[in-house]
Amino acid sequence: MSELVVVALKLGYLALLWLFILFVGNVVRTDLFGRKLPATEIAQASLVAASGPTAKMSRKVEKRLPTLLKITHGRQAGLTVPLAGGVLIGRSPDCQLLLEDDYVSTKHARIVVTATGYQVEDLGSTNGTFVNNQRVTAPTPFGTGDTLRIGRTLMSVEK
Amino acid sequence: MAEVVSYRKRRGVEAFMLVFAVALGWGGYVIIHLNQDAELPKQWPWALGILFGMALVLHLVVRWRTPYADPLILPLVMLLNGLGLAMIHRLDLGTDPVMHSAELQLGWMVVAVIACCAVLIWLRDYRILHRYTYLMFLAGMALLMLPLVPGLGLEKNGARIWIHLGSYSFQPAELAKLVLAVAFASYLVEKRDVLALAGVKFVGLDLPRARDLGPILVMWLASLAVLVFQKDLGTSLLFFGLFVMMLYVATEKPSWVILGLGLFISGAVGAYFLFGHVQTRVSGWLTPFSNYDLNYQVINGQFGIAWGGLFGTGWGLGRPNLTPLAKTDFISAAIGEELGITGLAAVIILYGFIVARGLRAALGSRDPFGKLLAAGLAFVFAIQVFAIIGGVTRLLPLTGLTTPFMSQGGSSLVANWVMIGLLLLITHQVRQPSVEPVADPVASLAGEATQLIPVGSVRPSVAEDETGPLPIFADAPTGPIPAVSPDAPTGPIPAVSPDALTGPVPSIHSDDPTEFVPTVDPNTEATTAITPDDGGPR
Repeated sequence: MSELVVVALKLGYLALLWLFILFVGNVVRTDLFGRKLPATEIAQASLVAASGPTAKMSRKVEKRLPTLLKITHGRQAGLTVPLAGGVLIGRSPDCQLLLEDDYVSTKHARIVVTATGYQVEDLGSTNGTFVNNQRVTAPTPFGTGDTLRIGRTLMSVEK
Repeated sequence: MAEVVSYRKRRGVEAFMLVFAVALGWGGYVIIHLNQDAELPKQWPWALGILFGMALVLHLVVRWRTPYADPLILPLVMLLNGLGLAMIHRLDLGTDPVMHSAELQLGWMVVAVIACCAVLIWLRDYRILHRYTYLMFLAGMALLMLPLVPGLGLEKNGARIWIHLGSYSFQPAELAKLVLAVAFASYLVEKRDVLALAGVKFVGLDLPRARDLGPILVMWLASLAVLVFQKDLGTSLLFFGLFVMMLYVATEKPSWVILGLGLFISGAVGAYFLFGHVQTRVSGWLTPFSNYDLNYQVINGQFGIAWGGLFGTGWGLGRPNLTPLAKTDFISAAIGEELGITGLAAVIILYGFIVARGLRAALGSRDPFGKLLAAGLAFVFAIQVFAIIGGVTRLLPLTGLTTPFMSQGGSSLVANWVMIGLLLLITHQVRQPSVEPVADPVASLAGEATQLIPVGSVRPSVAEDETGPLPIFADAPTGPIPAVSPDAPTGPIPAVSPDALTGPVPSIHSDDPTEFVPTVDPNTEATTAITPDDGGPR
């Protein structure tokens, strides 16, 4: 091979090697700070992921499923929360429904999706969870029009 | 509303960089043959296929198991490994008869990549390793001391750091490096608070308490034992340096570093006067030409780098074979000769990037074990590269360490790939977006306290205090305290406080203030307290 080709190969190779390093540097630069996402976006993403198993639910059940939980009495009256995927209710900051109510336990109750619809489950709260004024002792199914009471907050289940 | 920092997965970037890295490694191999024989090597499709296959498998496993892992680590490692393979092949060609150690090394690389994938697939969560602190420590120490077992240990080139199993020889220290990094990390997570306690103050420096010196002395004695009995300066430096750096990261006390440096220097000076092999290394470092024959290797490495100059001789056109052990210890000298300082600097920067990504994972890690482990792995890698390339370029006395991913040697390659697997797992955890529950002990304590009020004890005075002039519904009992019977659950509604909603409540549809109005008696104070801002999500 001619001397010229040898030199061209040599310098070309080194140039590519450094180009690789520049690419790496660029990835490091664009990766430096990450993106800031509001926590709700991730919570919703995990809700969507968690609602995967509900696909087994029959169409009929799905149609008459309630979608909203509306607080009717309590400090946060007027607040509505989507039920999709289940809701953890309590006063702890990692609850999806954070109630401003002194009679609510840190992790008070949980709403879960089952194949037959939504169920509410008390998580060993101090003051209990009530569905239509009946104290819940086991996971209890509920539907549209039912009233949930947690602490001193009343919630109605709406479609 | 709380914000979460998340990183893009960037798996596409990783795929592109992997292809680039494979192409560069393979390009080196092809240019060697073009320069030497002016034709493509016969096996070029095989070499390309195997390298691409490994890159593809790694990429797919990462996509499957650790989709958030750092996108740069794998391409960097692939490039270094490819460069090493090409250089080993080039050194094979320089021997007469032609050797086939590059093929063997490629085989080891396949094994190493499988090991890395196995770590990603089966380990999944590196935090499991936290459970086996002392077992890991004992295993690491046993591996470190294994070459001293008579009949098993093997002395090569003056250092007793190999063991031989059948026809294979193996360097257990490479694996010990990994195991001990895990052991130190889990030990220091447990004990760092104690180790950070200040003892005697000496010249403005808080020295640790004398009773906490045990671990560092144990490690010092162990590394001295390696130095004395295995005659291996590099391994000894590596382990002691690893421990001291991790101690510093865990406790944030510079006194540990100063103490460690003092111990190391006293040990090194003592070893210099007591042992001939240390004196040889130091003379090769400071005055190589005082004994040309003894320092032949170091001198030849220097000649090679000098001959390469700024841009090198080109792949396959230098004479790196003149240096003894060019495939293992002196592979960086061979790179310096054929790719020049430009190429050697590029290689050092590639190593630097790997270390930087490891330290970045350590900075971002939320759990202390992952933090320490990532920092430890990055440090041990950095110390190793610094010691060996520094030794070859005569910045430091030569130490017999391998150049990670480049040197010929299966045990080193497998251990380093497993280490990369661990780093990928840690970076996956670090970069994964997650909503961390904000630890707020005060708030939760307050929450517990109200629950202690016994149900049924109506005390009007307390009721007055708590609700005071607040509005009361017509259908609600006046005593707002727990005495509320289940039938009349609607107690008085206190005014909505400005911090009504602080948690991650997903998509609340109450931005519209009109939604509040129907539920609250318009005559009460409560309504006046509600403004559109108060109930909304924040």
